[in-house]
Amino acid sequence: MVPGEARNPLTELRRGVLEYCVLAVVRREESYAFEIVRELAAADELVTSEGTIYPLLSRLRRDRLVTTTWRESESGPPRRYYRITPEGARALEGFTGDWRRFRHAVDKILAPES
Amino acid sequence: MEPDALVRDYLGRLEAAAWPLPAERRLELVAEVREHIESALAESGQRDEVTTRNVLDRLGAPEEIVAAEAEGMDRRFGAAFIGAQPAALGFRWGASEVAAIAFLTAGSVFLPFIGPLVGLAFAWSSTQWTRRQKWVATLIVVGLLMVPVIALMGARVSVGA
Repeated sequence: MVPGEARNPLTELRRGVLEYCVLAVVRREESYAFEIVRELAAADELVTSEGTIYPLLSRLRRDRLVTTTWRESESGPPRRYYRITPEGARALEGFTGDWRRFRHAVDKILAPES
Repeated sequence: MEPDALVRDYLGRLEAAAWPLPAERRLELVAEVREHIESALAESGQRDEVTTRNVLDRLGAPEEIVAAEAEGMDRRFGAAFIGAQPAALGFRWGASEVAAIAFLTAGSVFLPFIGPLVGLAFAWSSTQWTRRQKWVATLIVVGLLMVPVIALMGARVSVGA
C-alpha cells in the first residue's frame, strides 16, 4: 500500500503552511482579499480551493496577526485591506526558521546523496 | 442554468452550510465570497455559464469553505461542527462577563438604576453569551426598572381618583 493514498499528504501540508504564506503576502504589501487569493493561486500547489482563504483571513484577524482597513474602491463596494502586525511578523519569522530546518531535514532523509 | 442562478445557488448552499457559525461571521463570510465571485467575473470580463462555473469550481465546495472556518477555531465552534451539545461547550469567564455579573447584582444595590445598565453594557460586549441570552437579560433589567415607575404611576392614579 502506498502511504497517503487515502489521504493526500499535500492537503495536510497546505493546511499548515498556508496561513504563513498569507502573512508573507501581506507583509510585502497591504492587499485586499481577492489580490491575496490571486497571488497564492498563481503559485502551484498552494491553494486548491480558493474559498478557504476567507476563513483563514478571518482567523488571522481574530488572532491579531493582521489588521485591516476599509478603503473605497474605484469599482464596486469598499474593500478591506490586510496588513501584517508586529505580532504577525514575529510569527512569520519564527515559522520561516522552522520551515527551513524542517525542509532541510526532510530533503536529507528523502535524498541522502544530494 | 443561468450564470446568475448558479451564483445564487452557490451562495445559498454556503449560507446553509454555515449555520453553526455565529450570525455575524456567517453574513460576513457570505459577503466575502459574493465579492470574490464578483471580482473574479469582473476580472475575466465575461459572465457566461462556463466562466461562472469555473470561478465557482476554483472557490471549492461551500461545505469545504465552512469546514475551513471550523479549523483552528476555538473549541466552542469546533465542537458544534462535530455535533456536540451546545450546553456541554465551555464558557470562559473574561473581564466583560465578571463585570456584567458584578454590576447586575451588587451594582443594582449600590448604584440603583445605573448599576444594572452598566452591567447590561458589559453583558452585550461579551463574546461568551448568545444574542438571545443578552436580550433576555435586557428585558429582565428593563422590566425590573419599570416596576417602581409603574408603582408610582399607580399610586398617582389612585390618589387622583
